[in-house]
Amino acid sequence: MANIETLTLNCEDKSTKEINSIIRNAAVDGVEQVEILNTQARHNIGVGILKPIHLIYRGHVGYYTVGLCDGVTAEIHGSAGWGVGDNLMSGEVVIEGNAATSAGPSIRGGRIVVKGNGGPRCGVSLKSGEVIIGGNAGYMSGFMMQNGRLIICGDSAKGLGDSMYQGQIWLGGIPEELGSGVTQVDPEAGELDEVFAVLEKYKISAPKSFKKLQSDKSLWNFNKHDFAAWKDAL
Amino acid sequence: MSSSSYRPPAYSGVWHPDAIEEIQEKAELGRYQIRGQATKRHNLPSFDDLVFTPAGLSRMPLEGYRERCDTAVTIGKGKVSRPLVLDRPIMIAGMSFGALSVNAKRALGIAASRCGISTCTGEGGMHPEEREHSTKLVMQYLPSRYGMNPYDLQKADMLEIGAGQGAKPGTGGVLLGLKMSDEVAKMRDLPPGVDQRSSCRHPDWMGADDLYMKLEQLREVTNYEIPISIKVGASRIANDVRIACKADVDAIVFDGMEGGTAASPSIQLDHAGIPTVAAIAEAVEALHDMGKQDEIKLIVGGGIKNGADAAKAIALGADVVYLGTAPMIALNCHAPIYVEDYERLGTTPYECQHCHTGLCPVGITTQLPKLMERLDVEEAADRVTNYINAITMEIQLFARSCGKNKVADLDPNDMRSLTNDVAMMTGIPMVGLNGKKPWWTKF
Repeated sequence: MANIETLTLNCEDKSTKEINSIIRNAAVDGVEQVEILNTQARHNIGVGILKPIHLIYRGHVGYYTVGLCDGVTAEIHGSAGWGVGDNLMSGEVVIEGNAATSAGPSIRGGRIVVKGNGGPRCGVSLKSGEVIIGGNAGYMSGFMMQNGRLIICGDSAKGLGDSMYQGQIWLGGIPEELGSGVTQVDPEAGELDEVFAVLEKYKISAPKSFKKLQSDKSLWNFNKHDFAAWKDAL
Repeated sequence: MSSSSYRPPAYSGVWHPDAIEEIQEKAELGRYQIRGQATKRHNLPSFDDLVFTPAGLSRMPLEGYRERCDTAVTIGKGKVSRPLVLDRPIMIAGMSFGALSVNAKRALGIAASRCGISTCTGEGGMHPEEREHSTKLVMQYLPSRYGMNPYDLQKADMLEIGAGQGAKPGTGGVLLGLKMSDEVAKMRDLPPGVDQRSSCRHPDWMGADDLYMKLEQLREVTNYEIPISIKVGASRIANDVRIACKADVDAIVFDGMEGGTAASPSIQLDHAGIPTVAAIAEAVEALHDMGKQDEIKLIVGGGIKNGADAAKAIALGADVVYLGTAPMIALNCHAPIYVEDYERLGTTPYECQHCHTGLCPVGITTQLPKLMERLDVEEAADRVTNYINAITMEIQLFARSCGKNKVADLDPNDMRSLTNDVAMMTGIPMVGLNGKKPWWTKF
């Protein structure tokens, strides 16, 4: 299979195991990219790939697409189901459509780009890396974030950044409600330019300005005088 | 004290000293109490309410030291390419690096490896020392996903999806700031010194259908090589078993309310979940209802202290017992050494439940180097090895005495109940009735 630049993989009539095996073998053999056809919103297509390869999904995908991968880049020409890019270690996943619940959960590196809207809990338990939502994000986005950067160009539903430990949330629109332990701060010099630059890279229409949100550290250690925050957080 | 001078306590049965102390502590803290180890309840139905009915004339026992009595259990046989083979029906339960010191993890790994059984990472990722010292290592896959990565998943010998624990079913983990050392924090991607509160449910699956997909994902990542179990706190058992069966797991782990913890809300420890002995009966019935009793292994933990508890759990239908607190005690937990440090914590050996403080006097549940030094790894590993060997012999003793040449052949007919409560919960007949109505009802 070596020297093949693009491998075309038709998912029809293939099991998940066969599809992933073909992708893994292609990555080992040095194939540059795999074009995946007839995705039919199937789950677990392209998971556990630990060698660099570029995946092009022609259609909607189901749960955990590009989950538990390292060094993989992907473009999804459709929308994604739950947990897209789950636990990504490094690499990049660009979703042209919308993403369902928990886009980029617990990623430890790399970047998840959703050009449309994100469902609830975008960037939940984000540990490092970046999750970008071109449109609006659902409730509890950035919940228990531990680090990294979550960029939401549109509005967010309730509980934005609830119980986040560290990291940054950049919100272009209006938050329905901030979560416990979240505060708005002034951007540091150059930070906003970086946000605009990364959106420009993906040709995402950026809002005029962003609010920078981060942990106020009130939930780092229990303090009985902050009971109002802890009542919801504990 | 002579009976004539005995004076009953003057305090209220409702507002007794423990209740008063609890209220006053909450009034000071402004939060619920947190403690380690396990429930303080003394009145739970337990394995002590069951007895074995060994062989006599109607059945022949096996010779204790001469006739073979197999103890091995295999998880995932026929389903994955690298099933987990346990030489004994025992596993060391998940206890995190963070909750335990690295020395404690080393010692447990050495002992488990000598005994041919597994250890488990617990929350917080796979510590390289634990992998090095454990020939059979189960990796927990938990809601927090601390330290999670595909490489460590592939290094594991089994995966355990954590969906709850007996000590605090329905809530997430707690690790207070003093135990959040630089190393622990780095592994978990957290700031050192924070009070860690783990999420109680997974970030990317919610229900039965999602769980099936998550299982498929994890099997893909591990190339269908190793078994996958799911662990839940014993509460809504029958329905949980049905969902686990649908998800196609290789084993189900139930942790009864006696299960251990490094830090849990006290109120949760004493008022949530159901006891282990009841949990097994319900789980076994549900597995039979689903027709999966031969395919899915049942692993049960929570308050199992000795070979009698373990053998009774197996006779009720468990395949493997999960031990956490007991091996810790074998390490040296509660040992009457460094007594002055127990006193500084306001406790004594045998009463200590201060795992959550990070100030463990015997160096097990701490991250402070000076305290960690108190646990000699080799000596501790020897003690745990001896303990596991001893309870293995005890389990075999009951199996042989019941005429069984395989521990797995112990069954409910080998026991009788001492109490009505446990007879009702387990279906094991009361002693003296031989499973029937009283003899005089025939006349």
